[in-house]
Amino acid sequence: MTFPLWLTVHFTQYAVLFYFLAVNSIYTLLVILAWRDIIRHAHLATSRSARRQLTGEFYYKPVSVIVPARDEEAVIVQSVRALLNLHYPEFEIIVVNDGSSDGTLSRLKTEFALAVSKKPVRLRVPHEPIRGVYGSPEHPNLFVVDKENGGKADAINAGINVSSYPIFCSIDADSLLEPDAILKSSKLFLEDDELIATGGIVRVLNGCEVRNGAVTDIRLPRAPLEALQVLEYTRAFLSGRTGWNALNSLLIISGAFGVFRKDIVVAVNGYRKTVGEDMDLVMRLHRHCADNAIPYKILFVPDPVCWTQVPFTLRALLRQRNRWHRGMIDALIANRAMILNPKYGKTSLFGVSYFVFVELLSPLIELLGYVFLPSFWLAGLLDTRFMLLFLVLVVAWGISINISAVFLDTYNFRRYRRTSDILRLCLLGAGEFLGYRQLMFIERLRATLSFRQTHWGAQTRKVMEKEKI
Amino acid sequence: MLEHLTGAPLFYDYLGWAVLLLAAFNAAQIIYLLWNKARVERAERRKDALRRLTVTAVMTSPTPADLLAPPAGEEEYEACSEAIAGILENFEGEIAERALGLLERFGVSGHYRAMARGGRWYRRANAVDMLSVFRLEENRGSLLELFKKERVASVRYRILRALSLIARGHDDITTLACLLSELPYLTPKYTEDLFYNAVTALKAKGREEEFGLFMRRIMRDDRVLTLVKRDCLTACRAAACEKAGELFRDYYAAYPEEPEILAACVKALARKGDFSLLPDALRHPHWLVRLAALKNAHLCREGPAGEIAALLSDHNYHIRLNAALALARSGERGRAALRAAAASGDRFASDSASYALEQETA
Repeated sequence: MTFPLWLTVHFTQYAVLFYFLAVNSIYTLLVILAWRDIIRHAHLATSRSARRQLTGEFYYKPVSVIVPARDEEAVIVQSVRALLNLHYPEFEIIVVNDGSSDGTLSRLKTEFALAVSKKPVRLRVPHEPIRGVYGSPEHPNLFVVDKENGGKADAINAGINVSSYPIFCSIDADSLLEPDAILKSSKLFLEDDELIATGGIVRVLNGCEVRNGAVTDIRLPRAPLEALQVLEYTRAFLSGRTGWNALNSLLIISGAFGVFRKDIVVAVNGYRKTVGEDMDLVMRLHRHCADNAIPYKILFVPDPVCWTQVPFTLRALLRQRNRWHRGMIDALIANRAMILNPKYGKTSLFGVSYFVFVELLSPLIELLGYVFLPSFWLAGLLDTRFMLLFLVLVVAWGISINISAVFLDTYNFRRYRRTSDILRLCLLGAGEFLGYRQLMFIERLRATLSFRQTHWGAQTRKVMEKEKI
Repeated sequence: MLEHLTGAPLFYDYLGWAVLLLAAFNAAQIIYLLWNKARVERAERRKDALRRLTVTAVMTSPTPADLLAPPAGEEEYEACSEAIAGILENFEGEIAERALGLLERFGVSGHYRAMARGGRWYRRANAVDMLSVFRLEENRGSLLELFKKERVASVRYRILRALSLIARGHDDITTLACLLSELPYLTPKYTEDLFYNAVTALKAKGREEEFGLFMRRIMRDDRVLTLVKRDCLTACRAAACEKAGELFRDYYAAYPEEPEILAACVKALARKGDFSLLPDALRHPHWLVRLAALKNAHLCREGPAGEIAALLSDHNYHIRLNAALALARSGERGRAALRAAAASGDRFASDSASYALEQETA
């Protein structure tokens, strides 16, 4: 064996082995940390404490709910109706029509009898020009902002400028908030002045029954592609983000449902125009507070729920994952000052390092594994027994992590109540390794190679009302 | 390839064991999950039935304890206490008395007092929360004792909240303020809530003036944070303290350099219908004080429209907007001033005035 070949063989096998051990150990650790956090939270977040806030005359902070919408004609009315039913003493809804080319604005105008409002807009964060602000005489807390297209980040910035309250919640137009979601997430702002941002759990709406803007029957979607995303969301939110919470290193608050202190978001000049605006904002908030010695907390809370539609075609799913990965790379590049920088403490050491060395490099290391290990085996450089056992171990550990996430969810929150749904989720924990993971890997690899692209791609929606979606 | 690993005599045995262990762990998780699901569903049904039974017994029988078996396990205590907590939150008089009688007879309060003394901090916090719902004066001693022993701040804040709900005199509130000063300042809403509970508890006992005595005592006390004094004033406003008018004016005079105290005084007085400080507050150099005055100016029948109109050109966004809204709500004189501003060359004053007029029309 020549020296370069010897080096390649050894480097690859050690890199793959080390990567496998490191990644799975991190995921296992996150599951353990998440357990601790969720059990504590379940004891403290009782229905009594939520009721106290709802019935208290002044024990709340008013919240602005910002809904960026582009070409959301199919779902926007139902989403707004659901938001109008939120259980919260004082809130406003600001729908930002981001230059839609369909009938999003006209549907809103018709359904809510919108009229032009002269509400002054305070320009504090940058965005594309606003064409008009509309108010609803029927719902004084509903405003619709019509603006030139500028992307999701730009639309939320416009919403921030129009908003009147000190806390804002940004949610996707295709998402449904549970009636008490704002109550549960904004409660934390009353109890901790250092809290600057918080996010709730995003769950998959596909398969559920929706009536009058509320989820009435929770079921696992029939299509395996959608059901697999339920598993992914459960793993990412419950074991992932709750685990990062425990390490004070949360770097993502989902764009589908995040609650922020407005003054601090304004201080970092609002959202930046990028495909990963949610992660970028959270990273900039970390930087801003650390740079200016501002004591702060960014937390994930597992019980306020936002239901969102996930892609139901493989093409749409791959496009979404490509965008997420590009967004992450862009956020890491833009905030590269946080990489292994002691100034940013635990956030840099744990959170940022994880994203750089695991999420960012994973497609490249996995590529090494997928290409070289079979090649070495074919060339007789790898023992068959070792390779088979190693593969079985990889899959078994992965399944363990998946089932632990399902366990965490079912044990504590019991959203999916049917035994068949729980068993299917566990089964999908194994099924994920039969093609789905590989597809996601290929898309992340493609995204890594094309990370400079900034397009979002069109999204397809299903109407949510009165039927299973 | 990885010879020093694979060459170890028991390497493949260990690898095989690891795979088997993971497979067994996965199977165990699934089996436990299904078993636990069935168990929790059964327990929920039992708890629901017990809760309903407890509520029915309290509502229908003068001696509900005779109809119910004393709670045996944690689950039954939970069901019983939740039912009683619900009743106490929604009823007064005889029904509430019966619920309290049941608490005593079944030793529910004692159970949670014991729970608040041991175990993990979040269980202690939950027990203190439950004790706070019962609002039993007899718990004051144990709560104070718990506060002294407790090391977790989160639980200590909850103990203070429980104490605030059973305040009966200015000594209790002073104790509360002293204990509060032992902890880092949490949030304005928390402190307000604490003193709001205290004022409400005192008002319910017809002893509102006790809170006034406490406020006077801390007025010059430097050990009490100015922020806490501000929160007390806000709590007075929220709880609609009728007898504290003079107190608010005294605080306004005593803290000319503290805009947050001044704003709290202006708001509290306005809620009582006293607008004597309004003209001075509208001219105050700090925007927070001007804003507080503007937000309440519409409540005053003979509002100082001239001073408010002058604020349409203020350098602060909030002041300009709220000046316009105050004028729009203050009758024809104000609206005339707004119409003039809407036609003026000052673009922002014009925009604010148009918006305020539109809001008023709506």
